[in-house]
Amino acid sequence: MTDFKKIEENLKKEAKRLLEAGEVAVVLAYAKGFDEKHPMPFAAKCVEDADHLVFNEYCTYNMARYLVRYPKGTKIAIAVKAADSRAVIQLIQEEKVKREDLILLGIPVKGMKNGKTGEEIDSKTTCGMYNPILHDILLGEEIHGQKITSPYDVLAEYEAMDQDARWTFWKNELDKCIRCYACRKACPMCYCDPCFIDQLKPKWADKAPQSPGNMMYHLTRFHHLAGRCIDCGECSRACPVDIPLYLFHKKVAKECEEMFNQAAGMRIEDKPVLVDFRVEDSDKILE
Amino acid sequence: MSFEPKILGIACNWCTYTGADLAGTTRLQYPQNLRVVRVMCSSRINPSFIFRALQMGADGVLVGGCHPGDCHYNTGNLYARRRLAVTKKILEFAGMEPGRFRVEWISASEGNRFAEVVTEFTEQIKNLGPQTKMNIQE
Repeated sequence: MTDFKKIEENLKKEAKRLLEAGEVAVVLAYAKGFDEKHPMPFAAKCVEDADHLVFNEYCTYNMARYLVRYPKGTKIAIAVKAADSRAVIQLIQEEKVKREDLILLGIPVKGMKNGKTGEEIDSKTTCGMYNPILHDILLGEEIHGQKITSPYDVLAEYEAMDQDARWTFWKNELDKCIRCYACRKACPMCYCDPCFIDQLKPKWADKAPQSPGNMMYHLTRFHHLAGRCIDCGECSRACPVDIPLYLFHKKVAKECEEMFNQAAGMRIEDKPVLVDFRVEDSDKILE
Repeated sequence: MSFEPKILGIACNWCTYTGADLAGTTRLQYPQNLRVVRVMCSSRINPSFIFRALQMGADGVLVGGCHPGDCHYNTGNLYARRRLAVTKKILEFAGMEPGRFRVEWISASEGNRFAEVVTEFTEQIKNLGPQTKMNIQE
């Protein structure tokens, strides 16, 4: 089990050191919310702020979400768990942030919990990795020797459904959507300004929280995140009506991985799969 | 009355649309269910067009582009190939019949092939019946 207290101490120590030395302008991590189960994303800008930093098993938020809000060239230190580090790599690939502007405080962690349900978060809803792929400073012990389950195992049940059943399932789920756009707000990859759903010319979809508009919004969002979703599961945790968005994102990620042999956010040198091509791509992928 | 499907065809200006033209000038017979929209390149096609078409009452969508390697803009259809493959998988996982969306590479000299593809696709959509899942036009 991960020693959360030790990580918190290390986090405070490193944040203070970096802010004091002026190496970074801001440290993106977590602070205490209204109770232990609801920590909040927090940007520490001075040494005093660093005292407020916390880390516990409910600090699930993907802080990579906040990177794109700072002007280019801002020096930022960011606390990253496994999926978060993949998000950072993906943002570097998309040239939204520069590697040299970032200091990654890696947090190897097992046993994060969903603040809403109290359940442990595992490969069912996320990528299921424990160690950050990329880090400058490690705040805890790397986790080895754990059984790795494929993040795509959970899909088998839905892939086995017949088409009409799957359609009914998704229609029922997406009809619940109240269009609060929390999924978009929580997603580290959703940084378009304006988002296609906010555009009026052309008006891509209805804005009313009803079936046709919901379907259009979500299908298009799944498409926009194809080959970019790093499977942190934040969208489904942020969702107030509990739509299992992670399922669809996992499915698209799985297909992309099979078709293009590249998973999102694993290597800085890669290009996102949909802004890239190979002449030797097979036409079979269209069948 | 038998079911006459509405099919949206999105054709690239340089190959498939010219191919359709050739099919017309050589007086080849093919079903009139296809409504063709011309775009400058198959990579011009935003996946939302396809979702929108299905919502607006299309029973099937046929996308035509140049053969890979023959794109007028060199690489457009290679991007489109990846993108539309993902679109197809998304429609499939959402529960739409995969047969309702098809991508074909048809060059400007393949009038015959164009007529063949349209005939075959129309037949396929007729067998699938009206598209009611995404259709909001009832």
